[in-house]
Amino acid sequence: MSQALLEVALAHSPRVEEAGPGLVYLDAAGLEGLFGGERQLGEGLCAAAAARGLNVRVGIAGSRLGARVAARSGGGVTIVQPAEDAAYLAPAPLALLDLPEEMAARLDRWGIRTLGELAALPPAALFERLGSEGPRLQRLARGEDLRPLIPWAPAPPFEESAECEWGLDTLEPVTMLLADLAEKICARLVRRGLSADGFEWICRLAGRSLHEGSLALAAPMSEASAIAALLRVALESRPPQGVVEAVTLKAHPQRVAPAQDSLTGRSRPSPRLVTAALTRLTALVGARQLGIPALLDSHRPDAVRLDPFHHPHPNPLPGRERESGSLSPSEGEGRGEGGGKNPAALVLRRLRPPCPAHVTLTSGRPVHLRSAALAGRIVTGAGPWRASGEWWTGGPWARDEWDVELADGTVCRLIHDGSAWFLDGIYD
Amino acid sequence: MTLPSESLPPPGWGARGIDGLLGAFPPGQLSEIVGPWSSGGSSLLLALIARVTTSGGKAAVVDGTDAFDPFSAAAAGVDLSGVLWVKCGGRLDPACRAADLLVRCPGFVLVAMDLGELPLRRRQSLPSSLWLRLRRAVEGSPTILVLRAPQRLAGSAAALVVSARRLEARWMGASQPTRFAGLSSELRLLRARIFPHPNLLPPLEGEGTRNPLSPLGRGQGEGCWTIEWRS
Repeated sequence: MSQALLEVALAHSPRVEEAGPGLVYLDAAGLEGLFGGERQLGEGLCAAAAARGLNVRVGIAGSRLGARVAARSGGGVTIVQPAEDAAYLAPAPLALLDLPEEMAARLDRWGIRTLGELAALPPAALFERLGSEGPRLQRLARGEDLRPLIPWAPAPPFEESAECEWGLDTLEPVTMLLADLAEKICARLVRRGLSADGFEWICRLAGRSLHEGSLALAAPMSEASAIAALLRVALESRPPQGVVEAVTLKAHPQRVAPAQDSLTGRSRPSPRLVTAALTRLTALVGARQLGIPALLDSHRPDAVRLDPFHHPHPNPLPGRERESGSLSPSEGEGRGEGGGKNPAALVLRRLRPPCPAHVTLTSGRPVHLRSAALAGRIVTGAGPWRASGEWWTGGPWARDEWDVELADGTVCRLIHDGSAWFLDGIYD
Repeated sequence: MTLPSESLPPPGWGARGIDGLLGAFPPGQLSEIVGPWSSGGSSLLLALIARVTTSGGKAAVVDGTDAFDPFSAAAAGVDLSGVLWVKCGGRLDPACRAADLLVRCPGFVLVAMDLGELPLRRRQSLPSSLWLRLRRAVEGSPTILVLRAPQRLAGSAAALVVSARRLEARWMGASQPTRFAGLSSELRLLRARIFPHPNLLPPLEGEGTRNPLSPLGRGQGEGCWTIEWRS
């Protein structure tokens, strides 16, 4: 939606600023000759947005804050007359300034609730109490813009295609063609100070079918040779099944943060090395076999998904010990080890899938276990702990859990799903 | 003033206790945690991962047999967003190659290699050169490489070896157990080729604090900890 809104604004003014989801500022100065006046400009914006299925409200004022308040408070087009921003903003609540919590609490203690009350305070006294932030906020409350508009421009498409005069039936020329396309795209990315965090390729095959694939880079990069090597690895793991007649390569551009945030901060590891390692890892074990584990909002046992891994960021807390990668023993003091919920928590090692087991029962309690992973006499056990869920869906589950200790001291978890026993995991 | 009991660390945890052991896993070296199942070895590894991730570091878990349980990890305090989980599905060769790739990859504070329930015969078929290669790969980097297996595998390539031994399981319930409460285990330092921290080993009786850089600080360690792991 933001993209469509930006395009509508850009069709009316050459200077447009993206200000967040659903909010766009545009510079209306000098547009009277084109549209005939501010109201006509606003109505033109509403009509153009409606043509694209967007229901928008337009506010026109001498400042960004004034325009935002006008757009949100009125319907259709609301115009604040020139030099009346301060008066228009005066009854608006202070929360519009997006104040930090501490500052908001401080002003609240003073009894300042509206922008008008803040604007009326003596600037010198405000500076004495709040520092430079005080007068800055006061100027905003008076409807003064403190910085110029930051123009937005649509990102050019980073896409290259190549047609083959004759079909390519081996992988080598296809990877060379992709490398050539990657080089062209990377040259354009570098010229604009951008990197790519992913690539997509589409190979048109002889039978008019398509072979599509993508390469998600763990860290944005713009080095053509490295990207070509990664594309080769990705293509080798899933080659096109047929003669390739045309190839298209698309990049996902992204602006990259500097490698070092501050002079004393730790620099980020080379994106090229990180990306290369993770891509090789993906080719080694499969894309679905690695990632960041995320717990699902479900009571189903082992309800976990794997999210894509992102580029490691430097440690936010600089320090000699941490920079060297180790932690000092004293760091855990006072907050428990790892700062976690239960620093001495016992871990369950899961067997995936659960190992089928033969369990002998006496008086309804397991007394002997035999499975491919573990076997032995059960000396102690607690259970059954019954768990069930999702009976309202097509995949209900139910199981009884037992924690048992074998004669050799191994403690494990057994489950019974109503028909058979399984060894679910081993405590360790 | 008495602190509420839940705000205190569990017995055995402290600067000179298990915390000292966790802080002693040396960066740029291969370490091993050995011991049978239900000895607390995996819990020790998770405590180490929790320590790294809650400090903002990234940890990679090369899971030989897909045994890593994210629920247990979260309960142990691991910040899962800082964990890269590599599932190897019981395949030994990809596990070794993945560990080799990850220790060479910058940005990871800890690489944990868990060979898990792979049959002993397959684990022992690993060439000793593999561990020397991993040691060489991690040397000079800030990464801690930890191997978890029931038996020692890395031999002399390991700079630090911690052995876990189960002591007893604890059950709740008056006449009949109703709940598994946890288990206690003994962690013993089998080998400390590079003396990691002065707090790790208590000074011997009549001996002053050891200089970690002195020859006295090297060699077999005497450290021993008893830990109550809570289920």
